[in-house]
Amino acid sequence: MNKIQAPFKGDNNATYEMNTVAGADMEEMAGRKELEAHWVRVCDRLRKEIGDKAFKTWFGEVELGELKAGKLRLYAPTRFVRDWVGRHYGDRVLAYWQSVNAEVKNVEVNLVPPPAPRRPNEIIAMPPVPSSQNSHQPPMPRMGPSIGRGADEISQTPEARYTFNNFVVGKPNEFAYAAARNISEQDMPLPERNPLYIFGGVGLGKTHLMHAIWHVIRERDPKTRVLYLTAESFVNRFIQALRTKNTGQFKELFRNVDVLMVDDVQFICGKEASQDEFFFTFNSLVEQNKQIILSSEKPPSELQDIEERMRSRLGSGLVADIHSSTYELRLSILQTKAENARVPVPVNVLEFLAHKISTNIRELEGALNRVVAHGQLIGREITVEMAQDVLHDLLRQADRKVTVDEIQQRVAAHYNIKLAEMSSPRRARSVARPRQVAMYLAKQLTTLSLPQIGKRFGNRDHTTVMHAVRKIEELKVSDHSIAEDVELLKRQLQG
Amino acid sequence: MANQLILDLALPPPTYAREDFVLADGNREALAWIDRWPDWPAPALSLNGPSGCGKTHLGRIWAVRSHAVVMEGSDLVGKSVADLTDLAAATPAILVEEAQRAPERGLFHLYNLMRERGGFLLLISPEPPARWSIVLPDLASRLRAAPAVSVSPPDDELLGSIILKQLADRQLHAGAGVVQYLVSHMERSAEAARHVVAALDRRALTERREIDRRLAADVLADLAGAS
Repeated sequence: MNKIQAPFKGDNNATYEMNTVAGADMEEMAGRKELEAHWVRVCDRLRKEIGDKAFKTWFGEVELGELKAGKLRLYAPTRFVRDWVGRHYGDRVLAYWQSVNAEVKNVEVNLVPPPAPRRPNEIIAMPPVPSSQNSHQPPMPRMGPSIGRGADEISQTPEARYTFNNFVVGKPNEFAYAAARNISEQDMPLPERNPLYIFGGVGLGKTHLMHAIWHVIRERDPKTRVLYLTAESFVNRFIQALRTKNTGQFKELFRNVDVLMVDDVQFICGKEASQDEFFFTFNSLVEQNKQIILSSEKPPSELQDIEERMRSRLGSGLVADIHSSTYELRLSILQTKAENARVPVPVNVLEFLAHKISTNIRELEGALNRVVAHGQLIGREITVEMAQDVLHDLLRQADRKVTVDEIQQRVAAHYNIKLAEMSSPRRARSVARPRQVAMYLAKQLTTLSLPQIGKRFGNRDHTTVMHAVRKIEELKVSDHSIAEDVELLKRQLQG
Repeated sequence: MANQLILDLALPPPTYAREDFVLADGNREALAWIDRWPDWPAPALSLNGPSGCGKTHLGRIWAVRSHAVVMEGSDLVGKSVADLTDLAAATPAILVEEAQRAPERGLFHLYNLMRERGGFLLLISPEPPARWSIVLPDLASRLRAAPAVSVSPPDDELLGSIILKQLADRQLHAGAGVVQYLVSHMERSAEAARHVVAALDRRALTERREIDRRLAADVLADLAGAS
């Protein structure tokens, strides 16, 4: 049966197994090389016969499998491509194969097996993320007493990437950094530095510093009991304890703690009972000379809905602030992160990000992650234009909905012709070319149908629009200046 | 009435299998992100784009792989922290469709809970989170830092493939000429493709006609008249 087969409609698993060349001996490797060379020749011929576009659509993602007992396997990315290739190109593919390799008796198109999940962080080599952050594992067992329904787990280990080494210091954060370092190095808490209260805007590195202190304490003495939790988690636990009348267990959680860290303490404000409980916990730990470290968005003096006794307690130790980042700090952070990425990121891209993403460090790092990941996933070179594309949602308030009128106006102005020429019957090149550019942009930037576009250009037929689109697509390849014009206009129109 | 009564079953149940996904330039990166899971640089990923561009399909592919719980943003309305904690404890992955409708505090808690547990959120919405009007700065900052990938409306090839897929889902066949005709004459969105194929199906059935260019032209004229 010399026929190409799409053998398993509705039975995908049957042919999922894919032979690999791993472990194959030299002879097999040579055979594989030869097979690949044949595949290249088959592809070349297909491309010639069916045209570039169709080739890319149907064979662009088809992969060469193996040749076994006269049966050659190809792998298609989707069922749809598999069926289509089998139905429409089957005979040709087989004939071409047989012309380059007489061993091939039939060709079978199978579905490519779904990719195995990658190992976390395989692609971006940012500082290592802790196991709890990146593995798809069941939640870790709870630490200490559980407080019934709704009680979340408490992290037992600091986030691996949040160390002092990974904290980039600059003018805006040097004081908070020094304060955190100092506290981490104390064997015993000093009353005048207890609590350490770090405040600053969202995403500037407060949590990072708290975790960094935790790392140092753990390294010095792994037996030191550090309890880190967010203020919300504190409130949530407390409310649950009240509900289940189990406040004893709740208090137990804090009793044996050596260092208590509460992140985003402003979330306790306005919650009276929780605030009282927090005040009580706080005092009893300070009395036992245990270190307390707090973070907040605001200094104690600016917290709202908070009792005075609480306010003065919070501000009674060392208060350190983190200011908004400067351009220099942002650039320096990006440089540090980029060094850890396996892909080189050009300096002008880092400068562009440092300039544009000025809100906070979290977003800055997120932006760099996105750019690097995009480069890796799509295999695109990292440039400023690429970063602009990838981060369009952060850089622009909205992608503008472009209208045909705007396109016509902008194109007419660019080529210095009258707007009326867009719909005039004149066919002189000086007006026909800009008109074609405008039609091309209308197809690219709007969802109007081709007949609708034709209508807006002096009631032209949709085949005229199709011709214009094809023409500009060709010219973009052969004429650099047209390609530049089109890109420039596109960018201007999209704002 | 001469027309045969046709039960309008609207759209047939779409198949969301990975092998039925039609890959194109506009969705290649989105699929790459889905395949890359759980190697995401943040606990959340935003998948955004206009209606009918394939977001749901991508989301379902991920949900199958990650054993995610699937919900809508509005499902989070009225949920207490305890409810969310239970939810987060029950699953390592949550797919939130229409995520822009989620209440801010609820989404913020859920994000934090998932992060603490090493879980993941896939947020599907028409616009990227950076363009939602978020009041809570902590939530805004977290979502802006997470990767957001846009799925673009289809180009001609993808649109053609979508039409073919829609036809195949209804066990209909049409020649390449009909598909070509539709691609060059209809509004170029996946949503429109769905409507056009549904209308073709209906009309072919009621009028007992072949699906050819003439029927396609009639259907497009009809739809243009209706809009």
